[in-house]
Amino acid sequence: MDYKYIEQLMDRYWEGQTSQEEERLLQVFFQQKQLPAHLAKYKDLFLYTDAQRETSLGADFDEKVLSAIQISCVEAKRNTWTFRLRPFYRAAAMVAVVFTLGMAVQHSWETQDSGNASDATYNYASYKDTYSDPQMAYEQVASTLKEVSDTFRNAGVQPMDSIGDSASR
Amino acid sequence: MIDFRDDILPLKNRLYRLALRITAHTGEAEDIVQETMIKAWNHREELDTSSSAEAFCITACRHLALDSIARKERQNETLDTQNYDPVDNSDDSPFQMLSRQDGLQWIHRLFQLLPEKQRTVLQLRDIEGKSYKEIAAFLEISEEQVKVNIFRARQRIKSEFEKIDRYGL
Repeated sequence: MDYKYIEQLMDRYWEGQTSQEEERLLQVFFQQKQLPAHLAKYKDLFLYTDAQRETSLGADFDEKVLSAIQISCVEAKRNTWTFRLRPFYRAAAMVAVVFTLGMAVQHSWETQDSGNASDATYNYASYKDTYSDPQMAYEQVASTLKEVSDTFRNAGVQPMDSIGDSASR
Repeated sequence: MIDFRDDILPLKNRLYRLALRITAHTGEAEDIVQETMIKAWNHREELDTSSSAEAFCITACRHLALDSIARKERQNETLDTQNYDPVDNSDDSPFQMLSRQDGLQWIHRLFQLLPEKQRTVLQLRDIEGKSYKEIAAFLEISEEQVKVNIFRARQRIKSEFEKIDRYGL
């Protein structure tokens, strides 16, 4: 049997020039029981890499890692609860802004409408006096202010001059 | 969105073999795999395909394994580092079971005595059957650097075979 092809492949293998398929071919080739002496010495190399592929973790590993993942999942969930509600906070803020703007716009429209018709705005020209005799109006105001003053005094509030005294003291 | 059982958990043995190749310690390798998977699960929002999950896991696993050996080396600095043997395992690992077969143990020692990058690259190529392009992505290096590392690793192994030819075992 001619082993030229395998020899060439081995030369290219040492050079790092073989493809993945060629390396698989070598792997299969060295599984053979009968090998020529000059190639048999490399058998262990391929048996070793083959055997190493069998190295694996025990069955208990899955359970261990899955329970660890579950713990970290619960933690993550707890942390993200407030985070997940974040879009709702934003939505609530948006609603509040829109509502406030709407109120403001509505208010300004209402005052504009009524301002044209009545004296609700500070339009001094449209003010109308509610008295006809100025002397009578003065007495009315004076008696009202006295009434307010008396009410304060009766309630135990100190007169204005004594407040001034205590302030300057 | 990736699924833990479908996309991450099936990587366990591949990750375990990689971590074991770097740390040469079964217990540590198992912890690294678990840590890698939890890390990947916490990044699941960024991983949209199973191949991106694999790339993420292999890269993370290697970094964790490198951190682990760096930590160990720091701890051992004051101890006798002369006796440190990356091949020697105190516990009953698959490597230990291989030791009953001389030829495979010799190959194993050859692998483990390679510098970490060459060893990892050879692990991913000859044992996991990955393409140069994939390995470059996993190790965050160029394809050219992958080829160089494969070349050096295989040349080193070849030279050991040649020594046997010349001097015998």
